Amino acid sequence: MEIVGAFTAWLGASLVLLADGRRGLAAGMALATLGLAAACLSAQGPFAAAVIFAGGAVAAVRRTTVGGPGWAIMPPGSTPRLVTCVAGGLLALWIGLAVTTGDGGALRFAAMAAIGLAGARVLWSDDPAVVLTAVAVMALGIAAATSLALDSPGVWPFAVAGVVAAGTAVIQSRSPRAA
Amino acid sequence: MLPEAIELLVLTAAALALAIALAPAAASRRALLARGSVGLAGTAAVAAVPTFDLALLALLAIGIVQAAIAGRRSLAVRLRAPVIAVGLLALAALFARVQGPEVVHRLAAVGLAAGLAAAVGLLPYLHVFDPEELVSASPVAWLAYVGPVVAAVVVADAQGILGVDAGGAFGAILIGLGLVNIAWGSVAAWWTENGAAAWRYTFVADWGLALSGFGIALPDGKRAALLVLFTVVLCRLPLYIASRDSVRERVLTERPVNLIVAAALAGSAPFAGFAARVLLLRAATQLYWPLALVLAAGMLLWLPASLRLGRSLGVPSRRQAIGVAVVLALNVAVGLYPLPLLAAAGL
Repeated sequence: MEIVGAFTAWLGASLVLLADGRRGLAAGMALATLGLAAACLSAQGPFAAAVIFAGGAVAAVRRTTVGGPGWAIMPPGSTPRLVTCVAGGLLALWIGLAVTTGDGGALRFAAMAAIGLAGARVLWSDDPAVVLTAVAVMALGIAAATSLALDSPGVWPFAVAGVVAAGTAVIQSRSPRAA
Repeated sequence: MLPEAIELLVLTAAALALAIALAPAAASRRALLARGSVGLAGTAAVAAVPTFDLALLALLAIGIVQAAIAGRRSLAVRLRAPVIAVGLLALAALFARVQGPEVVHRLAAVGLAAGLAAAVGLLPYLHVFDPEELVSASPVAWLAYVGPVVAAVVVADAQGILGVDAGGAFGAILIGLGLVNIAWGSVAAWWTENGAAAWRYTFVADWGLALSGFGIALPDGKRAALLVLFTVVLCRLPLYIASRDSVRERVLTERPVNLIVAAALAGSAPFAGFAARVLLLRAATQLYWPLALVLAAGMLLWLPASLRLGRSLGVPSRRQAIGVAVVLALNVAVGLYPLPLLAAAGL
């Protein structure tokens, strides 16, 4: 379950990195949410997973209505992004499973992939819908990473991350204007 | 909550009050109060939450809210720096927690320092700056309003999550970043043609001193960092806001008040910046005396830029004159007797 969830999270974050259209972004957000919730389920229990799922679901549903038209997955010129998805995934996998030790390898991979690929997406786009989707994925990835702490983080990081992810759905982008 | 963070929050609240008093007539004081209060609440959340991860999520929320303010830069451009900062800090926290070779924990130290620089807007991640943008929507809000508390929280948490070796690496990186920012900020403030950009670069130079102080893990270093942040929040920020109109109109005056303001900005005696510099040099001497030489040389670079910025203030009148007088009086008081400020922060 944890391993499937981790790879689903990587797939979702990759989709967010590769898509420019709202449907593609929403699908990536939904996959990343499902994956991170599943990866957290065994470590933090159903409530934390449900909170992550709820926040990500709000962001994904909202994203289906706001943003560029269509799916726009891998538009022309997206080869560097594809390479980043694969290379970032392999790097996260290597660090999560080979370099670092201890329990929670899948969770480490999922959190690193989600945070890293979301950060790359923010650097790569000027579209508010794309950037806010990446921010939502990053917030959920940060919450997932708290499960690696020695002390139990409690439900608060998951709740706050869910609120932040859902909050990105209601932010309206305003056109730049003079001060 | 950290005593240092509480004190910086109080100073930030005082800076907000001064900013409202000093804001040019054209600016909406009500909007400034509303945005400043939201920023202050977010900053308080960063300091008050019990875990580092929650602080990161609070920081992310501040970034989203600030990016949503209408400004001259697009939402994506304004959101980029805080998101990259939070990403770096989150990855660093992850690396610090996992079991593995020492190099992973050293990577955590690199991530924490880089994330801190990105959050505040320092080299190697200077935020995109538009001189005409509202202060609340501009990178100055990160440099002088949110940044000090974020830095206090990140440095304190880094000491908690990093081991001894990685902690030493973190301090060394902060010192290196500090020296780079001192050199870049002070020289750029001297050379840039735009007055508002010159003010922004002097914030960066001040932050170089603060990072060096944080990096020198000695009590005097921490005291120096706190005093530098005091001057950023309660000297440079209010004076920058007071000078906005005259900078825009390219007014240059050479009255006594301009010279006094230049002296305060340069960190000369008896202002708070002087006490900060003395403490920093003392800490550097205790750690490694050549570092004190380099820092002392860097401090000389403040003079030309400060004289320029002092002249760009114009001649303050009425409310602004009172505000500038209060700022200078506060800085003289802390410069002459910094002990209460340091004691309140547990230093």
